[in-house]
Amino acid sequence: MSDPLMVEVRGLAREYRHGDFPVAALNGVDLAVRRSEIVGVVGPSGSGKSTLLNMIGGIDRPSRGSIVVDGIELGRLDERRLAEYRLKKVGFIFQFYNLIPTLSALENVELPLSLAGMDKRKRIERARSLLERVGLEARLDHTPDQLSGGEQQRVSVARALSNDPAVILGDEPTGDLDSKSAEALMELIVSLRDEQKTTFVLVTHDPIVVARCDRSLSLRDGRVVREIPKGEGSRFADSQRATMDGLY
Amino acid sequence: MSSLSMASRNLRRRKARTILTVSGIVVGVALIMVLLALTEGTATQTNGLIREILPAQVTIVNATTPTGSGAGIRALFSSGYNLNQSTVAEIAGLGGVYAATGQLSSTAYLNGQTVLLAGIDPSSYPLATNGLSIQSGTSLSTAPSDQVVISDTLAGQLSISVGSRVTLGPNSTGGAPYTVVGTFSSSTTFLDRSVYIPLSNAQGIAGEQGKVSEVYVKVVPQENASTVAAEIQDKVAGVRVVTSTNIATAVSSLTGTLTTVFAVIGFVALLAGGFGVANTMIMSVAERTREIGTLKAIGARSSQVLKIFIGEAFLIGVVGGAAGVAIGAATSLLLSSLGGGAGAGGLGRGARLFSGVLAPAITPELVLLSLALGIGVGVVAGIYPAWRASRMDPAEALRHV
Ligand SMILES: Nc1ncnc2c1ncn2[C@@H]1O[C@H](COP(=O)(O)OP(=O)(O)O)[C@@H](O)[C@H]1O
Ligand SMILES: [Mg+2]
Repeated sequence: MSDPLMVEVRGLAREYRHGDFPVAALNGVDLAVRRSEIVGVVGPSGSGKSTLLNMIGGIDRPSRGSIVVDGIELGRLDERRLAEYRLKKVGFIFQFYNLIPTLSALENVELPLSLAGMDKRKRIERARSLLERVGLEARLDHTPDQLSGGEQQRVSVARALSNDPAVILGDEPTGDLDSKSAEALMELIVSLRDEQKTTFVLVTHDPIVVARCDRSLSLRDGRVVREIPKGEGSRFADSQRATMDGLY
Repeated sequence: MSSLSMASRNLRRRKARTILTVSGIVVGVALIMVLLALTEGTATQTNGLIREILPAQVTIVNATTPTGSGAGIRALFSSGYNLNQSTVAEIAGLGGVYAATGQLSSTAYLNGQTVLLAGIDPSSYPLATNGLSIQSGTSLSTAPSDQVVISDTLAGQLSISVGSRVTLGPNSTGGAPYTVVGTFSSSTTFLDRSVYIPLSNAQGIAGEQGKVSEVYVKVVPQENASTVAAEIQDKVAGVRVVTSTNIATAVSSLTGTLTTVFAVIGFVALLAGGFGVANTMIMSVAERTREIGTLKAIGARSSQVLKIFIGEAFLIGVVGGAAGVAIGAATSLLLSSLGGGAGAGGLGRGARLFSGVLAPAITPELVLLSLALGIGVGVVAGIYPAWRASRMDPAEALRHV
């Protein structure tokens, strides 16, 4: 384990106000992810998985605790710096892909490069090679509604990779995919990790995902209740999703 | 992806709604354009007309001459409201008066055609008035003669030119022979049918010996015109004194009021268009909540989100403004051609006069102003929705389904 720490979360807590009284979505979470690790986060609905991911991704701020990503202490960043952090250090993959519907596959991948100010020729070249890498060289000019769910999720992986981030965060990335597309997506994610040492944190309910993660954390009521090693996770690979409950 | 091209694609994604929103701006801009073009053109034409009806700084007519829009003009050409010619000398003798000249206006027949006959004193007329703008030939000679100067329009219509012999008299048949010594350029319809002959000849034709219908006065220095006018009004019995400046002031304040009223109507229409834009944008921001959350999550700064939505409002303004200018210009031209058609169709002098006055003027300034209004309203209406989009919390926005 000589790979450096990419994500370091300490004593993380987040409260939301529901009317007058606060509800704790996260209640003291510690997490360390090394470079080129694929870490899963499982747990029942409402256990705080998305909240954890959003705070690592810099789109939400903790009530207490600290987050350091690639050496950057997020608590010190103002709004503008935080946007730059999201642009340069983080890639997001969403359950419903969240591609911009008016843009082609190529333009969707260009978007973060364009936001980062890369000139047109360079960014087209880079977006094209990323789409080739995810196997979509024949779909460059298709808009999201002309692509299957599996293809859209590959475009979003290419988009997440575009600014060469420190970590890619997936919130139920296979949640809307059939099992075949889910397998293919995990295949792609593992091969990206093997080739480029990309780091992933994947929130999921899906045994297919858990089976391919190096390890997974089980969250309940805003706390990590156990850590699931790779071997244990893979035993669920062929089982029904309902049996995931055994993991929590 | 520039924010403008993203904006334009979003507008094209919802074509029907965009067209509806844009049309609000189009109506407002077109309305303002037509109304301003009309008032601008009308003001210009009216000022030109005043200068030609009143060729001098100060005009004196009989105090009993009827007033009112049409009545005043017609009275200039009918007898019964004339002044004694001695009034001219009396006025010329007053302090501050540089020159005064008498004119007798009436109707007569030239080669059987009705014309507006003006008898002038060739020696004092050029001193007291702006003079005739001679186009070919010469003005009337100061010696008594049977010379006539006619408008270039009339010369064209009757196929006569300098040197032609014409017949001029009070009736459609007969009359005395005159020689055309010159033509003057008549820039408005008002002077198209005017002919000028020596005053005494005109008095003979009109049967108004020793009478004039108007006295024109020039004041030096020019700034004293209204003081001198007041003095004439005071000292000379039975006259009414009119200065071209006070008429012009009255007319311009009237057209100023019209412009204001029309502009207010147009602005109300534009305001409604602006509310349409704001409404559409607020709807669009709400519908695209998750998209906005995504943009921010992948690293767009608030200012970049703001730009995308302001860009949409700007494009609505540009398209609406441009279409509004085009439709406004087309409508203005249609209006003026309708007016011109009525005149040419023979509704007579009054109709032509009227159509000349209703001449919309489409100036480059007006085009730019209208376009800028469309864009300005679009952008201003888009500011609040765009600001809301830019301020969205990404985590909340992403929870939105
Ligand atoms: N923006 C928010 N406002 C209020 N409550 C929230 C907000 N985000 C999350 N919560 C609450 O925090 C808890 C954890 O939510 P979440 O992290 O989305 O859970 P999970 O992703 O594991 O299903 C839930 O009770 C949820 O209702
Ligand atoms: Mg969740």
